[in-house]
Amino acid sequence: SKCFVFHLQKTIRPVQAARGVHQSAHPAPEDTVTASFGQFISEIKPQHLSPVVLQRSKRMVLDSIGVGLIGSTTDVFDLALQHCQHMYAPDFISSVYGRSNVRLSPTLAAFVNGVATHSMDFDDTWHPATHPSGAVLPAVLALSDMMPASRKPSGLDFLLAFNVGIEIQGRLMRFSNEACNIPKRFHPPTVVGPMGSAAACARLLSLDSSQCSHALAIAASLAGAPMANAATQSKPLHIGNASRLGLEAALLASRGLEASPLVLDAVAGVAGFSAFYEDYKPQPLDSPHDGHAFLLEEQDMGFKRFPAHLGMHWVADAAASVHKLLVGVGPGKISPDQVQDILLRVPLSKYINRPFPESEHEARHSFQFNACSALLDGEVTVQSFTPGAIRRPELHALLSRVRLEHPHDNPANFNLMYGEVQVTLVGGDILKGRCDTFYGHWRNPLTNESLRKKFRNNAEVVLPSAKVERLIEAVDELDRLDDCQDLLSQLQ
Amino acid sequence: FPLFGAAIHALGASQLTDGVINRSKRMMLDTLGVGLLGTRTAVFNKALKYSQLFTSERSSSIWGRSDITLPPCYAALVNGIAVHSMDFDDTWHPATHPSGAVLPALLALAETLPSRPSGLDLLLAFNVGIEVQGRLMRFSREAYNIPERFHPPSVVGVMGSAAASAKLLGLSPSQCSHALAIAASSAGAPLANAATQTKPFHIGNAARRGLEAAWLAQMGLEGNPSMLDMDVGLGVYYNDYSPSTMPDCASGAFRWILEDQDVAFKRIPAHLAMHWLVDAALAARGKLQEAAWNFDLSQIQRVTLRVPPSKYINCPFPITEHQARHSFQFNACSALLDGKVTVASFDPAQINRSALKELLSKVEVKTPADNHPSFDKMYCEVQIETAQGESCTARCNTFYGHWRKPLSQEDLVEKFIVNASSVLCTEGVEGVIDVIGNIEKVTECSVLGSYLRMTSNTLEKVYKSASCQNSSGHAVTLF
Repeated sequence: SKCFVFHLQKTIRPVQAARGVHQSAHPAPEDTVTASFGQFISEIKPQHLSPVVLQRSKRMVLDSIGVGLIGSTTDVFDLALQHCQHMYAPDFISSVYGRSNVRLSPTLAAFVNGVATHSMDFDDTWHPATHPSGAVLPAVLALSDMMPASRKPSGLDFLLAFNVGIEIQGRLMRFSNEACNIPKRFHPPTVVGPMGSAAACARLLSLDSSQCSHALAIAASLAGAPMANAATQSKPLHIGNASRLGLEAALLASRGLEASPLVLDAVAGVAGFSAFYEDYKPQPLDSPHDGHAFLLEEQDMGFKRFPAHLGMHWVADAAASVHKLLVGVGPGKISPDQVQDILLRVPLSKYINRPFPESEHEARHSFQFNACSALLDGEVTVQSFTPGAIRRPELHALLSRVRLEHPHDNPANFNLMYGEVQVTLVGGDILKGRCDTFYGHWRNPLTNESLRKKFRNNAEVVLPSAKVERLIEAVDELDRLDDCQDLLSQLQ
Repeated sequence: FPLFGAAIHALGASQLTDGVINRSKRMMLDTLGVGLLGTRTAVFNKALKYSQLFTSERSSSIWGRSDITLPPCYAALVNGIAVHSMDFDDTWHPATHPSGAVLPALLALAETLPSRPSGLDLLLAFNVGIEVQGRLMRFSREAYNIPERFHPPSVVGVMGSAAASAKLLGLSPSQCSHALAIAASSAGAPLANAATQTKPFHIGNAARRGLEAAWLAQMGLEGNPSMLDMDVGLGVYYNDYSPSTMPDCASGAFRWILEDQDVAFKRIPAHLAMHWLVDAALAARGKLQEAAWNFDLSQIQRVTLRVPPSKYINCPFPITEHQARHSFQFNACSALLDGKVTVASFDPAQINRSALKELLSKVEVKTPADNHPSFDKMYCEVQIETAQGESCTARCNTFYGHWRKPLSQEDLVEKFIVNASSVLCTEGVEGVIDVIGNIEKVTECSVLGSYLRMTSNTLEKVYKSASCQNSSGHAVTLF
């Protein structure tokens, strides 16, 4: 296998000087939004991370690793990994979730680990809507693996880079009102994900502010995938590619590749990042200072309790409460024969309205499926999406009794929506369940205990318990680790 | 949409007409020439260094390099970047650069296929890649104008590459459909990176990621089979979107778009719109020289350019070569100063000339209402006014090289020879001309790769040492 040598940006600089006459493109005017983002990324320091942000981001890191580990058991992950192993020679650098002794070149590792993370739609969700961690963590892990053993980032550097990746995504989404609602055009992780990954990697590589700006601009040309591939096997690649391409953008920027200095700014007649939104009002980022409020401080993350689109969690909780009522009344199992009609009151969103899903991917994006599973079983779990479970005749019987309503007061917005399940029994009784805030939503966050339980359930599918516990410890202490290798070494 | 997949699968060599064969061979030759020249640019070198992080067992040639190969996806990336590095590659209507997204992927793929595709296989796959791009662009009225939002090669280029690669791989109709669906998730780069060093990556990545999409489809990855039908599919890249089906290629209804709509080949490594402008500027300059026997450029008081409205090619004082290639003002002034605009006009020293900067300060750009931002309809007018009160105006409606006034075969080959000779030895240059000229009879298309690697040893030494001293690697012209 090849000996991999990577020159950090400090050794690149002399080459630029030798170029002599060739000028860099524009001396970037300090008052552009793009320059302000570049400056923020390059100047932010660990001391700017508040205790709340440290705590919340460590929870995200833990959850993201866990879903990535269980995701390494999926078909789509296998496919992605095989592709990388066939098309590229072995390059033993960056670890791959759930596969001891398998390492790949950094961008390829970021790719497959990102695919794993999103493979079951089990990863975190933010408001405005995106899946922030899966786009960032795999790249930061891969890059950390790439760095020489004697110069690994500290746990705090690692966490800082991770938070930069999250922060940049959050800031970018606030440039558009369109971003606040469940998406219709571009899949949000493909729009902001590469930008977050590029920012995080630029931070970890200690690029200067101009290079950080260019990393974002290069990443913008790699952003954007249509919603049509959501609910298909290609969706997990959206996160995998976001992670991979953001890392690639940062690496290219570190080698001096230049791009638009106005990519985040609004320029009439020439779209930059604005290309992905109908309405676009960019805001500059303040220079980092003590007391800079990361968005994560104000807006917590949603963690999923089962692997399906976030919208499913409301109807599942509502249906579960109806299940409890039913089970309370009669025998422990629900029979479709008891049920005459199931009415779901949910927001209007085409890509999560699927009456008879056929694949696991479709099932994870189906109000009807998740409501009926929860009605039948009392809960939705990882096992609810196996082919056997999807094809159950009793489930299908329930599905055929479902109809949807989209009340005006139920917007397609993760901060405002609710889910209501109304079951009419054969006898005429009507049972109702409503969920305004599911457990795991940012308004009702998972306790640390619940989060760890989810992590253990996921991680133990591929790692021995001892390693799982050490991982929990390592993430818990991440901001106090001198060397993030202590985390990296537990992953496989 | 499944019809696209079916068509990609079903289109056969027997459907290739003489007209299409002739035109597509010209496109292939031109693309190889500009690609070879482009391997001497800074952006190519950066991409190459980055790509050398990756290795693979079956690897593909890098044009103009005898010493290195790369995994096929990265060969497609860097060769595609080379093709677009100087904005010297072909342009179609509706606007895109079709060949650079397709040929690098196909050549890289062909070198690794155990089935050893023939020249005809390559030619057919190439035309499939071009055809798919042409069809997709016709799904939107927006596509007919000079772009404002997404850079067209980044939208349709990756789709063309996926289609062409799927064809060469011999994928099933269903796999071809999924290749397109997977590729769609890799489409779309914002226009803001045009006129920067990153623009060539748009073509390079189109080639790379289309190839990757085809491979993933071959492995069984699936996407949305209705990707082309939906507004939330490929429609996301357009403000108006009306897809139509591909006619059954076995029926008489099928006709290649290239048959009816030729491409434009560039004589100047700059945005297509510059070609009208340069022709007009040279004509105006010529008129002035005839009219005023003692004419000298310092007498110019004002230069007025009447051009179509397009923000990203309106750059009054470009600093980088990338900006210069996208500047009405720069190209007009270069033409006026030098009596020609060539590859050398975009060297840093030329861009920074004080005489040029002075002339630039006298330029005014106007966008008349009747000048439509479409490569099919636009014109350019240059008016020069002198201190002595003389005024000369010239207008260009159709530059030489435009599809309405195509380059002669002689001039096309001449452009190729000049470009390729900067990198290849004579045997390589002539070998490529020969293989492409007879491509439909060539038994193994990978022979092209061996010619593309036939660098002149002297030249390669010069470039290698130059790139050690400084990674600028600007295109050096030897003539």
